[in-house]
This record gives sequence, C-alpha cells and structure tokens, in this order.
Amino acid sequence: MWNPTSFSRRRLLQSTACGFGSLALAGLLNKPGIAASPLASKIPHLPAKAKRVIFLFMAGGVSQVDSFDHKPLLDKEDGKSREFNDARNLARNGKGAPARVMKSLWKFNQHGKSGKWASELFPAMCEHVDDLCFLHGMHTEGVAHGPSTLFLHTGSTTQIRPSVGSWVTYGLGTENENLPGFVTLSPSMGNGGPRNYGNAFLPSVFQGTAIGKPGIPAKDAKIRYLLNERRNDLEEREQLDLVQALNREQISARAARGIAADTELDAVIDSYELAYRMQQFAPGILDLAAESQETLDLYGIGQKETDNYGRQCLMARRLAESGVRYIQVNYSDNSNNPAWDQHSNMPKHGEHAKAVDRPIAGLLADLKRRGLLEDTLVWWGGEFGRNPFAEKNGTGRDHNPDGFTVWLAGAGVKPGFSYGATDEFGHMAVENKTHMHDLHATVLHLLGLDHLKLTYNFAGRNFRLTDVAGEVIHPILT
Amino acid sequence: MLKLRALCSFQRSIPHTCAGVLAYCVIGLCVSPSYATSPAADAKSDAHGIEFFEAKIRPVLAEKCYSCHSADAKALRGGLLLDTKQGVLIGGDSGPSIEPGKPDESLLIQALKFEGFEMPPSGKLSAQVIKDFEHWVKIGAPDPRTATTAIAKKGIDLEAGRKFWSFTPIGRPEPPKVADKRWASSDIDRFILAKLEAKKLKPVADADRSTWLRRVTFDLIGLPPSPAEIDAFLADKSPNAYAAVVDRLLASPQFGERWGRHWLDVARFAESSGGGRSMVFKEAWRYRDYVIDSFNADKPFKQLIAEQLAGDLLTHETPEVEREHLVATSYLLLGANNYEEQDKRVLEMDVADEQIDAVGKGLLGMTISCARCHDHKFDPIPTADYYALAGIFRSTHMLIHENVSKWTERPLPMSPETEAAVAKHEAAVAELQGKLTAAKKLAKKLTPAGILKSGPIAASELPGIVIDDTQAKRVGDWSTSRHVKQYVGEGYLTDDDLGKGEKTLTFQPEFKKAGLYDVRLSYVSLGNRAESVPVSLLTADGEIDVKVNMREEPPIDGRFLSLGKYRFDPSNQWFVMISNEGTAGFVTVDCVQFVPVDEVAAPVKTDVADADAPKAGQAVDNTVSDEAAKAAAAVVKLEREMKSLTATAPDVPKTMAVDDAETIEDCKICIRGNVHNRGAAVPRGVLQVATVGKAPQMPPDGSGRRELASWIADAENPLTSRVYVNRVWYYLFGAGLVRTVDNFGTTGESPSHPELLDYLARQFTDNGWSTKKLIRQIVLSRTYRLSTADNKQAAATDPENRLLWRMNRRRLDAEALRDAMLAVSGKLDLRAGGPGVNDPSVLKGVGTVTPTEYTYEFLDTRRSVYTPAFRNRTLELFEAFDFADPNTVAGKRNVSTVAPQALYLLNSPFVMDQAAAAGARLLAEEPAASDEARVERAFREALGRKPTDGEKSAVLAALARDSKSIDQNSEASSSDGRQVAWERVFQALFGCLDFRYLE
Repeated sequence: MWNPTSFSRRRLLQSTACGFGSLALAGLLNKPGIAASPLASKIPHLPAKAKRVIFLFMAGGVSQVDSFDHKPLLDKEDGKSREFNDARNLARNGKGAPARVMKSLWKFNQHGKSGKWASELFPAMCEHVDDLCFLHGMHTEGVAHGPSTLFLHTGSTTQIRPSVGSWVTYGLGTENENLPGFVTLSPSMGNGGPRNYGNAFLPSVFQGTAIGKPGIPAKDAKIRYLLNERRNDLEEREQLDLVQALNREQISARAARGIAADTELDAVIDSYELAYRMQQFAPGILDLAAESQETLDLYGIGQKETDNYGRQCLMARRLAESGVRYIQVNYSDNSNNPAWDQHSNMPKHGEHAKAVDRPIAGLLADLKRRGLLEDTLVWWGGEFGRNPFAEKNGTGRDHNPDGFTVWLAGAGVKPGFSYGATDEFGHMAVENKTHMHDLHATVLHLLGLDHLKLTYNFAGRNFRLTDVAGEVIHPILT
Repeated sequence: MLKLRALCSFQRSIPHTCAGVLAYCVIGLCVSPSYATSPAADAKSDAHGIEFFEAKIRPVLAEKCYSCHSADAKALRGGLLLDTKQGVLIGGDSGPSIEPGKPDESLLIQALKFEGFEMPPSGKLSAQVIKDFEHWVKIGAPDPRTATTAIAKKGIDLEAGRKFWSFTPIGRPEPPKVADKRWASSDIDRFILAKLEAKKLKPVADADRSTWLRRVTFDLIGLPPSPAEIDAFLADKSPNAYAAVVDRLLASPQFGERWGRHWLDVARFAESSGGGRSMVFKEAWRYRDYVIDSFNADKPFKQLIAEQLAGDLLTHETPEVEREHLVATSYLLLGANNYEEQDKRVLEMDVADEQIDAVGKGLLGMTISCARCHDHKFDPIPTADYYALAGIFRSTHMLIHENVSKWTERPLPMSPETEAAVAKHEAAVAELQGKLTAAKKLAKKLTPAGILKSGPIAASELPGIVIDDTQAKRVGDWSTSRHVKQYVGEGYLTDDDLGKGEKTLTFQPEFKKAGLYDVRLSYVSLGNRAESVPVSLLTADGEIDVKVNMREEPPIDGRFLSLGKYRFDPSNQWFVMISNEGTAGFVTVDCVQFVPVDEVAAPVKTDVADADAPKAGQAVDNTVSDEAAKAAAAVVKLEREMKSLTATAPDVPKTMAVDDAETIEDCKICIRGNVHNRGAAVPRGVLQVATVGKAPQMPPDGSGRRELASWIADAENPLTSRVYVNRVWYYLFGAGLVRTVDNFGTTGESPSHPELLDYLARQFTDNGWSTKKLIRQIVLSRTYRLSTADNKQAAATDPENRLLWRMNRRRLDAEALRDAMLAVSGKLDLRAGGPGVNDPSVLKGVGTVTPTEYTYEFLDTRRSVYTPAFRNRTLELFEAFDFADPNTVAGKRNVSTVAPQALYLLNSPFVMDQAAAAGARLLAEEPAASDEARVERAFREALGRKPTDGEKSAVLAALARDSKSIDQNSEASSSDGRQVAWERVFQALFGCLDFRYLE
C-alpha cells in the first residue's frame, strides 16, 4: 500500500481529521499528540503538471459524430443500411445488425490555427480548439447508463469502488483546510447517484461533497447543514460555546477518573471548531456577488439558457482558486435517460449544447486569463458516445461505448492536438485506442500520481482506480 | 465465435483483478500439454521458414506484443507469453495461441484480425502484417526461440493451506490457570487474565454501576436506560442484580431490533437494488422483520443459516413456517446488482458472484470472490472452488430477464381468511368475466363492425393523447389507404408488403403530465397482414419491444390493441416506433393513443358509450340500432364493474424468494472471469480447504443449497462458528478477537486470543447455536465490566488494548445516536415491523418517472432499524455517522470524526426538533421544579447520570442568558423563551461527548 504519510491505517479509519466529506485540517498537524490529517497536502509520486481537476461531465453521452469527430462518409452514406457491430446488440445477442447510417444535423468547419474540424453544435467552444486536446479513440465498459456512468467515475461497472475524485484527494490531500477537497456540483441522483462521488472503502474524509442537485437552480445550491436556518450568528456561536463547555468539562471529569485526554475525543472538539470556521468561510466561495458583470457575461450568467451551467462553471473556477482539488461540474438530470441521451430526437442535442457551450468557453477563457489553466486540468466528456447510425431506423442515436471523444485542456496536455481515431463511420475506436482506464491513469499521472502505486488495502488486497489495466497516454503530454 | 472485447482485463464486468500482483501466470485450464509433438517440430529445420520468422514475425512480436506478453512484461496479460516458442504453443488462459498449419483455427490470427480478441489493443496491424502471420502459421510456425518459459505453474496446496489457523479444526481448550484467583468471574475472564498475566499486566478497575448499565443497555437493545431503570439497578444490592438486568434486556422486544440490525449489516440488507438504475425492493421489509423476529426468538443460528440459504427447500410444518422459510431466502436476493446489464450471461454470473461474496464474507469470513478470475492469490481457494459454489447458485432461479431484469418473487402462503377472500374474489371475477364475454358476443352480433360507431372517427373524439399516422415520422415509403373504413382521421398507412426492413413510423407524443398511460396501437386487421410486427417503445420504464399480430382483430373496440401501460413524463422525447423489419405480409398502422390510466375505464367519446346514461335529444348514430346500443352499453357497464372489482382484489402477499432452477447444472469456469470464454465444468461443491471429513454430496436434481447450508452450519466447519462468535465479541467490545471480522484469511489479522475464540465457538455450538446465551455469557463476564480507565504500564505494553486490560471506549453508531435522541425527546415510536417504505409516491412512482428512492421523505420516528435502507439514498444522519455500506458485507462500521457530523448536530432540523421536544416534555412534566432540578433530570435522561458542578453551572448560565435574551428580543412570553432555552440545552446534550460515546 502506498502510504503517503506516517499515519496508520487504523488511525485513518478512526480519523481525527475534520473532513468535510473531506476537509483538511493542516492546523492540526502542528498540535502535539494529534496524528497527521489524512487530508493534509501530500507530496505526489511524480512531478505534477496539474494541481487540480475540473471535470465537466456531460451525462447521457454526447454524440461524437455531431460534435468533434468529423466523418464525411456519413453524409455520403446517409440513409443507407450498413452492418454495424452495435454494442447493445452484441451484448444481448452476441452479434451485430444492419442499421441506417445517419448524417450529422450540424455542419462541420475548420477552426483555429490547428484547423480542427468541429461542428457548429458548439460554436463558442470552437473558438478554443487551439487550447484543447481531443481524444477521439475513447472506448469504455457497459452499454447502459448505469454501468457506464459508474465505470467513468469509479473504474468499475458493478463493484463498489471509490470515485476518481476520492482517489485524487486520498493521494494528494487538499490545499484548503476550510473547504472540502472534492466537490461535485449538482450531481444526479440517478445512474449510481452518490456512488459516483462516494469514497467506497476509502475513509469517509475522502468522499465528495455534493453542492446542489439537478432541478434546483444553481443559484440556490448550498452545502447541507452549513447554516442554521433558525438561529442568527450570535446564537450559533453561543450554541457552539455551550457544547464545547460541556465537552471540556467531560474531558476534565475523565481526567479526574484516571482517563487521560486522547486524540479521539480531542478530534470531536476540533470538529466543532472546524465546522464553525466553515460556516464562516465556505458560503463566500459559492457567492458570485463579487464577480464583475463582464465575468458573469463571459459565462452566460443572466441569460436564460446558460444561467444555470454558467453559474456552476463560475463556482468551479472559484473553488479551483480556493484550493479544491477535484471539482466535477455536472450537466445532468435525475432521470434514467439523462440529458444528452437522444435516442429518438437528435435536434435536442442542440438545446443541451446551447446550455453548456458558452459557460464552458467562458470557463476556459477565464482560467486562461487568470493563469489557472497552467496548473488546472479541464476534462470534458460523457460516459460514452453515440452511434453514427439511427436507433431502430428512427431519428435518434443509441449509446456507443466503443468509440467516442473527450477533450482535455490545461496543465500538462498538448494544446490544439488530436489523438486517436474511430473508423470511417465514427463508430469504433480503431487507432490509438484509449480506454477509460487509460484516461484515469493519465489524469492521475498529470496530478503526479502513479496509478500503479496509488493503492489502498481493503478486504485483504490492494485496490487501484485502474484495477489491473490502464496505460498513461504519453503522446498527449507536453 | 462471439465477439470478445480486447484484453481480459477490459472485458465487461470482470469484477476485479488484484492490483499489481500479476507477476505470475495461472496456466490456462484447457491447455493441451502435447505441444512437443506438434507439427512445428517438422518445420524447425526449415531454414527458409526461420528466415521468414526472423524477417517478418519476430520484429512485430517484439515491437507490438512483448510489452504485455513476455517474461519482461511489466504486467503479463491473459497469461500469454509470446517471447518463446513454448509460450506461443502453450498459450494463455484462453488456450494455445496458434494451431501450427491452421491459421483459421489460431487464436493469435483471430486476435490480429480483431475477431474475438482485438490485438494489439492500440490498433489493428496492417493487412500485410496479418497476412505474414497467417503464412507463418500455415507453414507450421517455424520458431527458433528455444528458451523455456520462465514461469512455474502455481497450484494451490490444500494440505499446506489447512495448516492456517482458521482452517484448523476447532479445539476444546480448557480455561487456563491464573495467578489471581479472585478477579475472574467466568472462564472467559480466565482466558483474558492469563494473557495479561503473561505480560505482567493487570486489568483496570471495574466500571461504576451506572456506566455498566448504560453500556449493557445500549449494547443489548440500542437505547439508553431510563432514569427509573437506573434507580432500580443502583438500588438492587442483590448478587443477582447484573444478571437480572441482562435477562430483562435479552427478553425485551428491542433486543431483536438491535441485534437483528447487526445481522442486517452482514447480510448487506437494503431496500433498493443500487447499481445504475436503482429499483426499490418493496418486499425486503419482510426479511428485515424475519431477522428481528428470529433474534428475538433466539432462533438457533444454525437454523438461520439453513433458512436463509435454502428455506424454500426445507420441510414446512405449517403455513407460518413456510412463510418464514420463503422470506428467509430473500437473503440471497438483497445484493447490489446492475439489473440493466445488457449482457444477461454477465448479469447471471454477477448475481452469483454477489451471493458468493455475501456468503463467503458474511458466514465464512472468506474473500472467495477473488477466485472468480484466478486462483485466490492469498488464500487456499482455487478457481474451481469458486465455480463449484457458482454452480449451486446458478442452479437456483433468481432472475427474470427483461431489458432491465428483475429478481424473483414468490407468493406467500396465506392465512385461511385471506385465502377465502382471494377465492371469493376470484369466483366473482370469473362470474363477471362470463357475463362480460356474453355481453360482448351479443354486442358484436348486433353490430358486426364493433361497438364503436363504424366507419372513420376523428382523433379528437378519442380520449388521451392521439397521434395519427399523418403526424408520425416516416422512414421509407408508406402509402395511405382507406380501403377498410375503420380508421381514425384521414385513413391509415400501409407498407404495401414491400421494402421489408426499410420502413419505420415513429410516433412522438408530448406529455404535459407525468403518469401512467395505456399505450394503444390502432391498425386494420385482415388475413393478409403481417403476424409479427416489431414495435419498440421508449418509455420512462425503459425500452420495450413488443410484437403485434395484425391478422388478429384489435381487441379494444375492434380498433385498438393495448401495448401495455407505461410511465411517461414531460422530461424526455418518448416514442413508439413501428417497423416492418422481418415481417411477412402487410403492415398497417392507423394511430397511436396514450390514455392516462385513470381514464382507461372511461368510455371513448362516442354515441354508444354515452348510451350508458342516455339523454333525451341526444344525437344517435343511425347506423347503430337501439338494441345494439343497449348491448354495447351493457358491455361498458360490465367493464366498469370489472375494473372496480379488480381494483378491490385482496392483497396476495409475496416475498423476494428463490427456487431451484429448472435446469440443475454444474458451472463452467469462466476463464479470467470472462463469461464468454468458458473452460471445463466444475462439479458443484464447497470450499475444499474448509472441509473437515467428507465433502457434501450434491444432489443431481437439486441446486445443492441445502447441502451447502448444512456444510456451513456444521459445528465442525472451522470457519462458521468462529466467525460468528467473533462478530458478537466485536459488537460488545468494539474490536473482535480477530479484528478483521469479515476476513479470516491469510490477509486478515490473527486472533488475539485463539483459545478463547475456540472456547466461545464450542460453547456456542454446544449451547444449540444460541445467540442470547452467548451474549449473556460475555456481558456477565468481569472483562465486560471493566472501566475505560488508563494504565500507563499497560498502555505502554499494549497500546491498542488487544489484551483487554480495559474496556474500549465506543462511539454510538448512527442508529443508536438517532434512537437515543428520539428516546430522550419522547418521540420514539416503538411500533415494530411492517413495511418501512410506506410512501405511496415511492411505491407507485406517482409524480416521478419510476418508483424510486430518490424522492423518499424520511419522516417517521420509529426505531432506526425500520428506516428504509436504500442503496443510493441514505438518511442524512446515517450518512454522516458511518452507517453500514449496504453494498457489501459490512461486519464492521467505519468510525470517522468529521466536521459534517458537527454541522449535523448543530444545524439539522431533526436534531433541533428532538431537542425542542425534549425541552417541552421536561417543562411539561416538571412544571414546578427549579431549573437546577430540571438540569439534573435532563442529564439523567440524556446521559444516564447527574451533572457535574461544572456542567450544571454552564447549563444554568446558558439558560439564564437565553431566557433573558429571547424574552427581550421577541414578543414571546417567558414560557416560550424558557422553551427555546431548554431546546438549546438538550441540543448541547445531544452533541456532547458523553452522549456520543459509551465508556
């Protein structure tokens, strides 16, 4: 087991850390008698290019052939029946079936200095193609949303495994003692729900903290129980003082009975103080009032279609600035067929694109001008892609785990670069295939973590995010 | 050949493989050892062939394959070595990589062609290179690389394995001699004291009586002792006082709620399936009640094992016993499974795997699942043992396959009253059905075209959402017909029996309201129609495929066929798509109607339907005679009666339960866990290493679950009783004698007191596997009575207190914390049993897409064991305070101390509400008392003791301040101010150390 600091596993389980679903308590490190916090900032295995990750999760699966994976053959073959090894048919029947090729509804053009082909689905993002690193040869596990979404987040379709963000926080700790190390904004309750940001067998300090949920406007998103809705500030402080007075009294009473103070009970007292500090500090991070109108406009905040995701993206930047290690910005909903899941109605992709395009472009621009893109890794993508042919000869596309596109941007990845390819239809990854495990390994690598060494011992063996697979994709690294 | 997906570790649903430990290879299970006589020998001398190998083959192998398939590979994949001739011929887990001379039968060639395996995974090699390989195999695969493969076949040595402590037979250790003759009060104490004396340590002093009482009360029933119980115990000076308390607690119905919950942790009990699409287990509460009742009745644990694994196969003396037996088998079905897995063979093995894991860890303390893909890396469990067990579970019927599959359910035997009610109801239905059939017949006779007015009707005349064919999205050529005058709107569409597979019609309704809809397809039947027309629906219940026989007349009014009732909502673009793929005969489509289910019984808006309540002057279609109208009205009336009759059907109880499968068969090994790469079948059986004496015989006509249960629930099974008594010890001391309670394998910890463990295991099985006797024995020991006091010398020698020189301090777990707050507030609802998920919106999915845990509101104040235990949604208090992860066997709870717990105790409405109720109760019950007296009472209620002087003055000061400031700042009367002040006092008590920890 990789043991980043000297605390024991038992210590970890009975953690004294005041994790807020993950919260560092660097201050505690200096206190005698208290073990190092598992969330204390740690030295990575390797020189790190990225200090943090912002993952823009496009739930439901964006169609690669309608966005960034340009396949002129689809126009030529549109409407013709061709034999495809469709993943769902394969899983159910063990063989493929003929299907009708369906061209993209969006026109492709070249963009930027790199001359990247991209469709007009994401016009604002297209302005940033020279900052993006496209992985066109992605493939993953599972055919349905549940398994694939879990695989994307935990590296397993069925087993209970820690989320990527939990692994990262476990490996690196956090940079801000008053904030969670791993935050997920408006996560879906569907398709695995909390398991997608859960710590599984890792100590609970590494679990993701959810802020907001789908269906609630991002402007109302908050951390649960952070504020007392029935008491004012003074009363809150008084209440805390009363609990702490009793706690201190009870520790002295123990001492009188021959029971020495210990770290476990001290940790309870500290957890109250920390909770109080968080109440003071955290709400400001999520409050966008201090942002200029120009910045709000940049993210599309205030405009109907883009307000919600725009706020989430801006919150992500503010969390990144404040030292949060792993921030997931969900574009999702609570249904079993989430957001981008256009089985029957491809034009709906356009509505979703409108909602995220400006906010994401704004985030990229904002990170860049603040110098944050240099040590922040931005990851955009869904749990899988979509088929280049019509689902059941209708007007939508079914899931495609065998070939899809994600992009990375920022710390340590080549800008204006494309890697990997699908076949001429845009269906199966064929060249420089990148499995989701490989992407996980690469994300960890960029953060300075060796995916082979980032292990945790549970139920008698060492576990990894990448199971026994995963290769770092070196050709995309700067 | 089935198409496989790349490398073994990329195959779907491999549960896991062991990180970073693939240094050696498990030689394949279907490997032929006869490579030495292969035709390759003849080719060896062929210099030309060698030259070809050196020029065309070796460089490719070295460049593209060696990184994963050579002795130097960082991690060897699939057990396949390609860096020696021997390796190529032996092959890996999937068998020999080539058949010299036969490229078409060679796995390597298939893999290069991306047929089956896809190698190399980074991308297909050029056609020329693949041709070169084919040629090479064809000429006999000449290969000069003579080195022998440098890996040894690693088998499992079962005899050596049996020497590990947990597999050795359970002994009958005598209690040891101890120097201090006075301290020990039982044999348990002598085992403990002997170890302490060996280290020159002494146990600390006993806990005071009130501390012990609080400890034992929480431990046995999960609630705090009441002030009256405290007084009674402190006043009872008889030598029997301790035993009397223990016997009272053991007899309390709350005992089963506490200890049943412990077992539910181990049984990974949950009320939803988890996985991607989490589905509510509506009947799981029956199992929860079964467990609670069993612990209250002190059912022998041996019997509990048998019932849970094989209740359905046992003899049921009475219907009550049969009920219990069937409900018990829910245990096998409660796991977290991904029922939407599309590859159903994978799902079947996943479910079996989950069961092996639950039984393995829960009952045997073994991580058997590790052996799914390879021999266990650490414990003596070969892959064959895993598949021997898998055969038992695969011979059990537990899955119903659909797009999203389901677990099995079985009806429960009914009480005589219910049975009579059901029979009566069935008879009434049959009678009414008879009348209905006759009425329909008559109506049809009178109006041959059906009871609707014949001829075209407008879509607007029909209820619900009607999408006519003119609004459908068409793919391919469809022509409009009006040939048969029985359609909605302007006509209907036909594929003209041409262009099969090229045509579809997609109907896309817009829903304004979420709900359940009856989806009806209107088509025009005739003898030349297609018999099997594929119709696909996208509904909120999932994707549904049905086949429609268009030769048969649509049963509803001669126009419509119901495709079933499904949920829809405004969130998505749902559809019904009719295709002519694979059909023979004409496909006709008229319209699709979505009738909200509460309107289904309402008649369609036609003259005939209105005849139910005829009014003067009503327009009557002249084509229908009066008699016909009457007959049709009778049908409508009877259909209504039928609907209300079926709606009042008595509830036929059912349970999650299993049955033996129709086909009993041994399971074939899945090579590297891949269900599509099967090796030899393994006879059903049990873990060899833990078998003392003869292995159980598996019946040819039964799954073998009963035999498995007997093998586990055997006093001589070296694991079962040890694992169980150790769990009980853990719940009472906060640490097991073996601290890794779910892992008795080589990667687990060894016991601190192996003799005591065996002693307890023997006592347990000798005492008829009685949990209550075991607990009684332990909690009446002197060891359990120790205080948590410090001792410098002992702490230096044994800092982790493994030798139990003192009691461990323990934190209240989530349920005890919640229940204690409710007990103090007076809001605890002690109603036992029954469905916990009682919110109709969750059960029926009203207002949401599907029945789901996501909208559930946790409102009740019953004991925590009755709080619905969903997998994807947990009560927030449970989440904050380390509730058991229901996704896996959780013999041990995590203990974390994190800021969200403080936030929860400071700010959650639940805690504040309980504190307010406790305060109000105190003021109501002690109206005349002084604040000082009230403080004493509050402490006794919450902490089971009087306040210290310091505590008292802190609380009194806060009371004075709060009452004053609240009165000043608001118009509230002083009694309101006092109430708020007391709310804060109780909230502080709920948050303080002595409430949250047991000394």
